[in-house]
Amino acid sequence: MSINFMGMLMAAVLAGAPLLFGVLGEILTEKSGNLNLGVEGMMFMGGVAGLAGSFYYEQSAADPSAVVSALLAMGCAFLCAAFGAFIYSVLTITLRANQNVTGLALTIFGTGFGNFFGEAIGNSTASHYMAVGDVTKAVFNSGIPVLRDLPVVGQLLFSYNFMVYLALAVAGVMAWFFSRTRAGLNLHAVGESPATADAAGINVTRYKYLSTCLGGGICGLGGLYVVMNSASGVGGVWVYNCMNGKGWIAVALVIFATWSPARALLGSLVFGALSIMRFYVPLGIPAQIYDIFPYIATVMVLIAVSLRKKRENQPPESLGLAYFREER
Amino acid sequence: MKKRIFGMLLAGTMMLSLAACGGSGSGSATPSPSTSTPAASESPAGVSKDDLKVGVVLVGEENDNGYNYNHVVGIKEMQEEYGLKDDQIIYKTNVHEDAGCDTALRELVEAGCQIIFCNSFGHEPYMVEVAADYPNVQFCHATGYISASDDKDNTHNYFTSIFQARYLTGIAAGLKAKEIGNTKLGYVAAKPFAEVISGYTAFYLGAKSVYPDATMEVMYTNEWSDATLEAQVAQALIDDGCGVISQHSDTTAPATTAESNGAFQVGYNADMISAAPHASLVSARVDWGVYYKYAVGCMIKGAAIAQDWCQGLKEGAVYLSPLNTDIAAPGTADAIEDAKAKIISGEIHVFDGPLTGTNADGEALDLKQGEYYHESEEASAPSFDYIIPGITVVQ
Repeated sequence: MSINFMGMLMAAVLAGAPLLFGVLGEILTEKSGNLNLGVEGMMFMGGVAGLAGSFYYEQSAADPSAVVSALLAMGCAFLCAAFGAFIYSVLTITLRANQNVTGLALTIFGTGFGNFFGEAIGNSTASHYMAVGDVTKAVFNSGIPVLRDLPVVGQLLFSYNFMVYLALAVAGVMAWFFSRTRAGLNLHAVGESPATADAAGINVTRYKYLSTCLGGGICGLGGLYVVMNSASGVGGVWVYNCMNGKGWIAVALVIFATWSPARALLGSLVFGALSIMRFYVPLGIPAQIYDIFPYIATVMVLIAVSLRKKRENQPPESLGLAYFREER
Repeated sequence: MKKRIFGMLLAGTMMLSLAACGGSGSGSATPSPSTSTPAASESPAGVSKDDLKVGVVLVGEENDNGYNYNHVVGIKEMQEEYGLKDDQIIYKTNVHEDAGCDTALRELVEAGCQIIFCNSFGHEPYMVEVAADYPNVQFCHATGYISASDDKDNTHNYFTSIFQARYLTGIAAGLKAKEIGNTKLGYVAAKPFAEVISGYTAFYLGAKSVYPDATMEVMYTNEWSDATLEAQVAQALIDDGCGVISQHSDTTAPATTAESNGAFQVGYNADMISAAPHASLVSARVDWGVYYKYAVGCMIKGAAIAQDWCQGLKEGAVYLSPLNTDIAAPGTADAIEDAKAKIISGEIHVFDGPLTGTNADGEALDLKQGEYYHESEEASAPSFDYIIPGITVVQ
């Protein structure tokens, strides 16, 4: 079987998009010094809430509009996941609970939350599964009109669903925010040394809360992507345990990307490609070996980064530590 | 102080919700000492309909609209047939092929079930172990092979000759492939087990019977049910030039992927035409209700349940969903009817010679003209695991 690079590249972009949301959300969170391991949980929360938003809207509206349905799905996904991050924030920022433990708890909580409501809402319907109609499916699974019909470039660049472009836009905005705005620099300071930032008059608590909650919301959009897009148009159905570890891969990707949104783009494309590689590049080795590739890549990057000791590539200095003003 | 109370409230909300989640699916298990386990009477008097309790262990849940859904439909047919009340049937959903299965089975016994069904291949080792502790409870396992030949009277296997239905759907696929002039078929397969290999070989033989030029490419997802992976595999097959694809996997993802690529698809477990009206030709389906009615009927009559049970097209245990006549190639319905009659009459055995192949252990199959592979005749679990010429497994 000859290798179909074009097909593989497109499949890699689609497989990488939910990871990109997860990694961007987690980068924003970690920039403030909060290590939120609950990405998987927040993706579950976002996924189920977004789906439920569209689902109930379609049930109640006589003539559901695709745009409203999509916006509602995104809004619900973002808010619900941000609420998960808010719980985390209260526990770790205000109450200074251990960040690792709280993040793990959030993963367990979110997974249960998603599966419980996914199943409960499904069972409350006649068909016994929560699924959105064709209107919503179509808006989540079509490329850019007109442009997608161009030869070659149309298929390669413009045939993806709008969530892919949204992820790219979020990455762009975040890169600009981190390096080109005062607030971005302040956030950087909060993550590196909250005491210094505090002394400089930056409201540490506010920055930590905002970046963690917004980051959580972005992770939630990744969950929505998995629910609406990943299964290419089965889309819009709740499937038990559908995140299936994507949140954890996103956490690994943050390290791979060394906290840079631009490298997150590359990283999620690489991880996406590795996840579908065995279908396009048959090497005759067991499938499980392919599944190990992303993690080997992460370890390699960790080794490379620690060998080079470049200061820009290090994690925020206060990552994982609670900030207590009285201890300055 | 306020903050602490607020934080505790939040933490409390998390715990309560978790408790609610944990509670879902775990039925009404009231622990009772196992010595007083309500057991099926050993005398052939049977269990009265009012006292009967049926346990069902599902690897997924009804809302998958696929494999588990199909089992629940069968259970409901049985429930209606015997007029059982809802609380006489206890479901355990999302029971994976791990120690959780052991717990689920014991809970069902404790809850008073006299007969318990399990529906996933990996449930069987746990079921056999639990069955040894409760000799008066009947345990029935779909797709397995251990119970069929072990020395326990209370363990049973059941499966259907789904390969017969797959052969018929292969005809629909073959005629469509011939019509669009694409010799390459694709198959989204779950795991490299005999059940799956037997299924896709039957599908391929059906296609080949009407389109001798056809070849088939098989890719494994290594999961029974994972919509994302199934879509990715289907996409990869279509990217590689397959015009008609089929599947041994639980979701409609291959159907919708075929739809968005302008390819065609043959489904499994559920009628997938509503999910992909311009792609899904037909689906091979199992009517589990035939077995559930039989097994529960045996309990009520006090008759022994067969150690191993397998029925097919002839008895209505497998069938095809309605053909999508808008897109099927002309003459498909007649060709299927014709082959169906021949399977029922015994003229076609699906794995008919001349047929050669090799399995993963390197054993060769060499059937001469007039011979056939006796699939599912000695044991209900499929055993055909040979890769035959024309099929390429990509890995």
